[in-house]
Amino acid sequence: MLPYLVLFCGGVFLTVCQSFGVLTPLPYGGGALDAYGKLMGDPSFFASFFFSLGVAAVSALFSVAAGTFLAYRVWQLPRQLASAALVYKIPLILPHISVAFVILVFWSPSGIMSSMAHSLGFIQTLHQFPNVLYSGWGIGMILAYTLKGIPFAMLLVMVLLVRFDIRQVQTAAMLGASGLRIFFTIVLPRLAPAMHTGFIILFLYSFGAFDIPYILSESRPGMLSIHVYNLYFKHDLARRPEAMAILVIMFCFSLVFIIVYSKIVNHLDNGVRKL
Amino acid sequence: MRHALIFLVLVLLFVLPVVVLVLVSLAPGWRFPDVWPENFSFRGLIYLARHQKQILTSLSSSLLFSLLTVLTTLIMCLFPAAVFARNKFPGKALLEGLLLTPALVPPMTFAMGLHFLFIKFSLADTLVGVVLILAMFSYPYMFRSLVAGFQAMGEGYGICAKNLGASTLSILLRVELPLLMPAVIAGGSVVFLVAFSEYFLVFLIGGGSVASFTGILIPLLNSSNRSLAAILTLIFLFLPIVLFLIIDMVLVRVYRKKGMV
Amino acid sequence: MTKKCIFLIALWALLILPGSSLAKDSDDLLLDIPFQQIQEQARDTKVRWYMFGGWAHVNDWVDTYVAGEMKKQYNIDLIRVPMDAGIFINKLLNEKAAGKKIGNIDLLWINGENFKNAKEAGLLFGPFAEKLPNVIKYVDPKSMTHDFGYPVEGYEVPYGRAQFVFEYDRASISTPPKNMDGLKEWIHSNPGLFTYPQPPDFTGSAFIRQIFYAVTGGHEQYLSGWDPDLFAQKAPLLWDWLNKIEPFLWQKGQTYPKDSAVLDTLFSRGEVAFGMSYHPSHAQNKIQEGSYPNSARTFVLADGSIYNTHFTAIPFNGPNKAGAMVLADFLISVEAQLSKYNPDKWGDFPALDLARLSPEESKKFQAVDLGPATLGSDILNPVAVPEIPTEFLEALEQGWKENVLDK
Repeated sequence: MLPYLVLFCGGVFLTVCQSFGVLTPLPYGGGALDAYGKLMGDPSFFASFFFSLGVAAVSALFSVAAGTFLAYRVWQLPRQLASAALVYKIPLILPHISVAFVILVFWSPSGIMSSMAHSLGFIQTLHQFPNVLYSGWGIGMILAYTLKGIPFAMLLVMVLLVRFDIRQVQTAAMLGASGLRIFFTIVLPRLAPAMHTGFIILFLYSFGAFDIPYILSESRPGMLSIHVYNLYFKHDLARRPEAMAILVIMFCFSLVFIIVYSKIVNHLDNGVRKL
Repeated sequence: MRHALIFLVLVLLFVLPVVVLVLVSLAPGWRFPDVWPENFSFRGLIYLARHQKQILTSLSSSLLFSLLTVLTTLIMCLFPAAVFARNKFPGKALLEGLLLTPALVPPMTFAMGLHFLFIKFSLADTLVGVVLILAMFSYPYMFRSLVAGFQAMGEGYGICAKNLGASTLSILLRVELPLLMPAVIAGGSVVFLVAFSEYFLVFLIGGGSVASFTGILIPLLNSSNRSLAAILTLIFLFLPIVLFLIIDMVLVRVYRKKGMV
Repeated sequence: MTKKCIFLIALWALLILPGSSLAKDSDDLLLDIPFQQIQEQARDTKVRWYMFGGWAHVNDWVDTYVAGEMKKQYNIDLIRVPMDAGIFINKLLNEKAAGKKIGNIDLLWINGENFKNAKEAGLLFGPFAEKLPNVIKYVDPKSMTHDFGYPVEGYEVPYGRAQFVFEYDRASISTPPKNMDGLKEWIHSNPGLFTYPQPPDFTGSAFIRQIFYAVTGGHEQYLSGWDPDLFAQKAPLLWDWLNKIEPFLWQKGQTYPKDSAVLDTLFSRGEVAFGMSYHPSHAQNKIQEGSYPNSARTFVLADGSIYNTHFTAIPFNGPNKAGAMVLADFLISVEAQLSKYNPDKWGDFPALDLARLSPEESKKFQAVDLGPATLGSDILNPVAVPEIPTEFLEALEQGWKENVLDK
């Protein structure tokens, strides 16, 4: 196990070095903190950063919420339907980039949803179709991440649901609790660990991944990962430290996020009565 | 009625895309305002037939390195998972968190620096290098699964076997591993899928020498040749499903024989 | 623990041994021996050619015709590896920095900015172009002195020619704009139907260079080399033009297609009215592929249409340089260039000097039917203008981001 940690840390270390202009392939002319300075002074960097955060947060939240709800309902299905419900695992197998493709096929102005709107009489030409993919809000990416994220959240939650004693639910129902009440006060707290794990994983993944933005990213603001990709591969090699600097910032952010989130969750948990 | 509704939602969300992919693969020109494609063409399928050798090669290569990654992560995580599941020691939570980081941070952050190191160690452009880097960022899934598995299994069986005189290795292989199978399968499936669908890392570290199915799929997903993109995606979907079905069947048979099901 | 160490060391040894430094000496030797010997050395070997893989028909041409001929003539196994130029440059860069003397790339498809980056970083082998018999016989030396204004010095071999064209659908637009001003008017009267790929995409970058030439009074002023003052003086004219049309662009200019493939899709599906491409035969190819409507055609603007040559080159650590040289030579041969010119295969314009061909060879080239969508050299040549030096290119791309995208 240790060699791997060494390699992982080695890789991160090298990234950090290159962001300071050390150990770059071509001799670097600038100062050590030049790359960071350039980023801090670039408003588009911050725009991209917060945009990436926003897209990641919305898609992760929605995935976990919808995923938990769907998992709960699927768990309640009678046995015959339960095996058929395994179709929810399909998007798990599809690569992210294919899911992006599917969203493109559905939601582009010349796509399926637009054709349906046309046949229902809502629009006449394809240009009247509302701007889903290119609005500047990253809706296309959010849809794609959510389509991938819901089954993932469902999977995590199912693991806990399977161990759940359905008699507790039945008892509560017998005592007169409504469906909603049962869900929120009995089931949800038990599922919380899976939900938190799911959120952290989905959030951080969407923040840094570049498969889906590769297909669906918008120009302004763009996702951070695409910016890094462009800086690394498409621009002058002298801009390598900038790319590495962004990566270092993303890495630090991820670490800080994990720590802070875990602390907050632990804090909240201590106030909850355990059944 | 409620059940039917949920079922409808599931189908719409998860099955409809596959149906649409099938349609797109047969009708590349499908566009507004047709709700159902007008012109079907087999151009995509013909391309498939002509390039079957290339597609099969990359498919088997992807399969190979994904399976190797599963094996590597299993070997990597087995012992540490046992230690983690059964012992309490100071700083355990912190160490566990640290061990899980590679799966949480964007792979780009360490992959690019790592590429340089791999070249220095002559690991770049090799199958071994690709397996290593895939294992490096997917092992947390196997690790977590195994820890849960060990915790669920408990130490009882192991202690019994030890009392009866079995060696540690023997206990591991003959008592614990079979009991861990569900956890291994769960973790292994995730690792397999992660490795199988990885494009960027395989590309970067494999340097073009290690074929991968994603290497063919991704450039085409970007192009305007939609039917090819759809067909290759469907193939991509097909393989793991078949694999998982096979594993399921084999395992059920084996466990049934052993009387464990 | 010791077992692990031994295993690791054994693994390491196994991996390092084959890669020990064979001949850098034999590489230099290659530049001195006669070409027949190089051909002999290349016989029965494997050649790995790394090139852009996003065009299925080009991939097919390489996999069937080129690979077939190499096998037939030299028993060489050609392995095509799809990889973007920016990525393989990066790979070579890391390999050079790590001291990897034997890599796994034999031949590259490259030009322009990527070539400059590669040559400056010492990633290329050469000069070898002058050794190839087909180059000596058929290539006009003047056409391979500079690549985007950067001296080639024999480090790459011409492969094909490209020229920037616009694409439109004849069924929706009867007369396309004739020049830049006409284009601007058209955009203003038809909002939402025009866009261009976001620089630094290759095609989008070429588009803004075209406009740059047109609005700043032509290309000659830039050809003498990088001039920061000239750029600072002239660039604002470009930003002005682009910013003025921005509100009338597709999606009101809020977002630009990520690359030319996305623009192709938009055009093919009728979401925008114009496509553009650096390859004159691109539209014809797409028609034959079934992606573009049969009524798609191309046009050029009177203000000038940029042309360039694309090349093949050999990396410094190529394992089979002899094989790569033989392949590069074959690609610039008359048969290969003729096959490549055929729109059923690719339609890429030849990089040969047509004046050096024999009458029968010349006739063969003239007989090629480029298809209805591709313009012939009689229309393309009069408006052809050369590419700009690469420093301008970088400055334009960065300037576009700062002055157009981020505004």
